[in-house]
Amino acid sequence: MRGIAKIALLAGLGLAAGLMPVLAQSRPDPMRMSAMPGAAPSPDDPMQALRTPDPGEGDGPAASEEFGGLPDAPGAEDTYYQCVACHSTEIIKQQRITDARWDDLWQWMVEEQGMYEPDAETKQVILTYLKTHFSSEL
Amino acid sequence: MSDQADREQNEGIKAVESGAGDTGATGTGTGTGTGTDPARRAFLRSTGASAFGAMLGMTIPFQRNLPAGLIPVALAQDTGQAMMAEKDGLIVLGDRPLNAETPAHLLDDDITPYEHMFIRMNGLVPQNALDSDASGWMLTIDGEVDNPLELSIDDLKSRFETVTRAMVLECGGNGRAFFNPGASGNQWTTGAVGCPEWTGVRLADVLAEAGVRDSAVYTAHYGNDVHLSGDPEKEVISRGVPIDKAMQEDALIAWAMNGADIPALHGFPLRLVIPGYPGSVSQKYLNRITIRDQEHDGAKMTGYSYRLPAYPVAPGTEVPESDMVVMTEMPVKSLVTFPRTGTEVATGEAAEIRGHAWAGNGDVAAMHVSTDFGQTWQEATLEPPPNRFAWQRWRAEVTLPEAGYYEVWARATDANGVSQPATTPGWNPRGYGNNMQHRIALIAV
Repeated sequence: MRGIAKIALLAGLGLAAGLMPVLAQSRPDPMRMSAMPGAAPSPDDPMQALRTPDPGEGDGPAASEEFGGLPDAPGAEDTYYQCVACHSTEIIKQQRITDARWDDLWQWMVEEQGMYEPDAETKQVILTYLKTHFSSEL
Repeated sequence: MSDQADREQNEGIKAVESGAGDTGATGTGTGTGTGTDPARRAFLRSTGASAFGAMLGMTIPFQRNLPAGLIPVALAQDTGQAMMAEKDGLIVLGDRPLNAETPAHLLDDDITPYEHMFIRMNGLVPQNALDSDASGWMLTIDGEVDNPLELSIDDLKSRFETVTRAMVLECGGNGRAFFNPGASGNQWTTGAVGCPEWTGVRLADVLAEAGVRDSAVYTAHYGNDVHLSGDPEKEVISRGVPIDKAMQEDALIAWAMNGADIPALHGFPLRLVIPGYPGSVSQKYLNRITIRDQEHDGAKMTGYSYRLPAYPVAPGTEVPESDMVVMTEMPVKSLVTFPRTGTEVATGEAAEIRGHAWAGNGDVAAMHVSTDFGQTWQEATLEPPPNRFAWQRWRAEVTLPEAGYYEVWARATDANGVSQPATTPGWNPRGYGNNMQHRIALIAV
């Protein structure tokens, strides 16, 4: 979904598959991760700043009251009705994960959890919505 | 939209609006509507509402009048949400399924009381648990055993030695919120852990009576909790442990928590407590243990659930499913439970800091705290546990030299000399096993 992280992810895949060499600038560097802004710090609780940063924190669409607090954006309605058949929106709103994890979660929900699979177009709308608003990718 | 799909949609809507018939059938239709036309909206609404109906075991007349997002009252009770009133200060991560964690300062008791015990539901609370009805409850022991058993709760109480032990239960995903990139699932911070006192019989004693065969490899645990989809045929969760772990004398088949019947949210009327492993092996609402001749492959045993990469991976790596292995022992860990983070203390005076430490491989060997961001460490006093796998009380006195902001970092070390890291250990796709040091803020004034 989002460019820079895509490159890092591909580099990670390359490493995992033993496909060398990897581009120098995408070499994994834990110090770079530490230099990136974390979650908004709290003077009352040092654990807060250690949490997974939220790339969209504060600048995303407003929460939709009609759709369980999901960001009010294209795809919210389809996503809401698809998901609340089983679980509330609270679990969705907690996620900040990669596109690949969303694809895997979708497959898991269909195959293991008995989720009703909508038509391809609706699936695309929902997955795009999830990958846009609940992503760990910058 | 094809005529066929159109027909199916219209039939679905009609069935729901009439409030009669098996409206669940609409959920398997092939809607191909586009955009947000009224028919599509109603179809989507009916899909969700029919699932509500399935969970309630009935259709919901006038459900189309329900405001979107409103969960019917009866359904809300099924999630266990109504029982949150009995809990104190928990942070709710999700309401369906119900999941809630406990802030560290509310975990200061040696024995975690009910109101401060975290909640991890994979499905919905069974009706008999909501009703506190254990009549006719039977536990089946079968599979690779010489004498399959059917045991009532009275059989368990009368035929085996009753044991009471304080034992830590901790969700395998406790600490998931700190992994970067993020991992899917409930974003537990530090509070998916507790140490109540459990009363029951040793799992090993019951398995010995059943006569475990040499072919036994793994246990498989089953309960009667209800799947989120409402489908009575679907397993919510069915996990297990290697037979050697099950045969150790620590694990209990428990009917009481803190001297009372196990509460509905925690597994009434029977549950396993298998300490040291992710909490999910400690099956709630337990009604069957099957001994298997291979690693169990029940719900949430496979794929990425409660599994770690077989080798170390860089953060964000997409690990193939075939390279994921079942998570077993939980790592060494500790919490600062007093004072509450952000507390003011007097400059230049000794202040008591305390908490608990525990380890998945048994007891904790040492406990240290730092007030200078890990540059220097002082040893805390560490009390022995009342029994193996109970958490251990630690205490330290710290003196903050000048006014200002300090952090207390806490670090436990297990019997093998392995201690907690300052940052997240071993990133993994589902965010398990994070035992990073807990930190609180102290303000010297």
